[in-house]
Amino acid sequence: MADVSRRALIKASGAIGATMLPTALAIDAGSAQEHDHASPAPSHPPAAAVVPPQVRETTYLFFNNEEAAFIEAAVARLIPKGDQWGGALEAGVPNYIDKQLAGAWGAGERLYRSGPWQPGTPSQGYQLPFTPAELFRTALGAINRELSQTPFAKMNPKEQDSYLENLEAGGKDLGGVPSDVLFAHLLESTLEGFFSDPVYGGNRNMMSWRMIGFPGAYASYYDLVDQHGIKIDRPTMSLAENADGHVHVNPGIPARSP
Amino acid sequence: MAQRLKPVDVVTIGVGLTGSLTALELVKAGLKVVGLERGAPRYTVPDFQSPAIHDELRFSIRKGMMQDNVKEAVTFRNTSDQTALPIRRWASFLPGTGLGGSFVHWNGQSFRFQVADFIYKTHIEQRYGKKFLEACGPELTIQDWGVTYAELEPHYDRFEYISAG
Repeated sequence: MADVSRRALIKASGAIGATMLPTALAIDAGSAQEHDHASPAPSHPPAAAVVPPQVRETTYLFFNNEEAAFIEAAVARLIPKGDQWGGALEAGVPNYIDKQLAGAWGAGERLYRSGPWQPGTPSQGYQLPFTPAELFRTALGAINRELSQTPFAKMNPKEQDSYLENLEAGGKDLGGVPSDVLFAHLLESTLEGFFSDPVYGGNRNMMSWRMIGFPGAYASYYDLVDQHGIKIDRPTMSLAENADGHVHVNPGIPARSP
Repeated sequence: MAQRLKPVDVVTIGVGLTGSLTALELVKAGLKVVGLERGAPRYTVPDFQSPAIHDELRFSIRKGMMQDNVKEAVTFRNTSDQTALPIRRWASFLPGTGLGGSFVHWNGQSFRFQVADFIYKTHIEQRYGKKFLEACGPELTIQDWGVTYAELEPHYDRFEYISAG
């Protein structure tokens, strides 16, 4: 954290945030530092000037402590931290999944939940009676009961991988949720949280976008329509900010039924 | 008591892809048209405004622009010996909703059927002989359309112009 000056940190996080310095700080400061090394493009302002480092510890709305511990450890294996860039944990993916499960999507928005109930063919898609929130709660409860002696978060990475592979292979029942269904939901949510707009609570500091060179939600590329094979080298931009950095939160986010 | 409105020339039931294009053409022809649409009104601004419209999680993943299948589910099966089950989340089949319907999220692609497609029976007979079709038995109900590509071509052309497809 040597590269993040105290002044920049206080400016960026506000006095309240700074007095609550959490464990996540080391990780975030670390990834900000990595970014400075990773993208020395002179046209870019320093990372701290573009995006204030997030120093708040995640406040979970949906997950209890045991569930959060599993999710944090699991997403860190699905997208691990690399040499240059943070992984799913550093990108705030657990926060994304938590907010999705606590919100409309978790409650089964746009999920048809009347009968007939029976197992379908693979092409008939999801046919379980669980909302996403119920699915995670049920399956994580079963996992944490099974692993009450050695919680998943306490395993070494190799054991964690083999446990996850076991879930993925299916055939294991987690309180009515087939383990491969849980794994599919977990993986999909992790990818969503890692790559979707930070307005949803993941992709912290637009880390994944900077990693893959995706500039984000620029309103218009009209001036580039007839240009081909050029590299779009711009600072990343979230849906919630305009070119001046002003934040315009869309009341329609997250999706609601029309 | 029902309120009686002044009659108009045409009323479209729904203002989706078909209703909106039809209404536009009829209005251009000088008729007075009223469109009835059950879904939400949506306009270029603010509903399709950048950058919010580039929200892939909301629209591509969560299907934010599609019909709410909690209200109107459809069932699906591949073969008649299976039990049709509800499509609980949209996946491959995406019905639109609201003003503009599926017109607002189509891919802008409309493919023309080819010359042979309209005269499929004749085409196959010419190419492989009448015996080829007869050998398939009475269950093969293949027919020519009764309308040719040449007759439809001007309409294809017109549709591609008005739909920008």
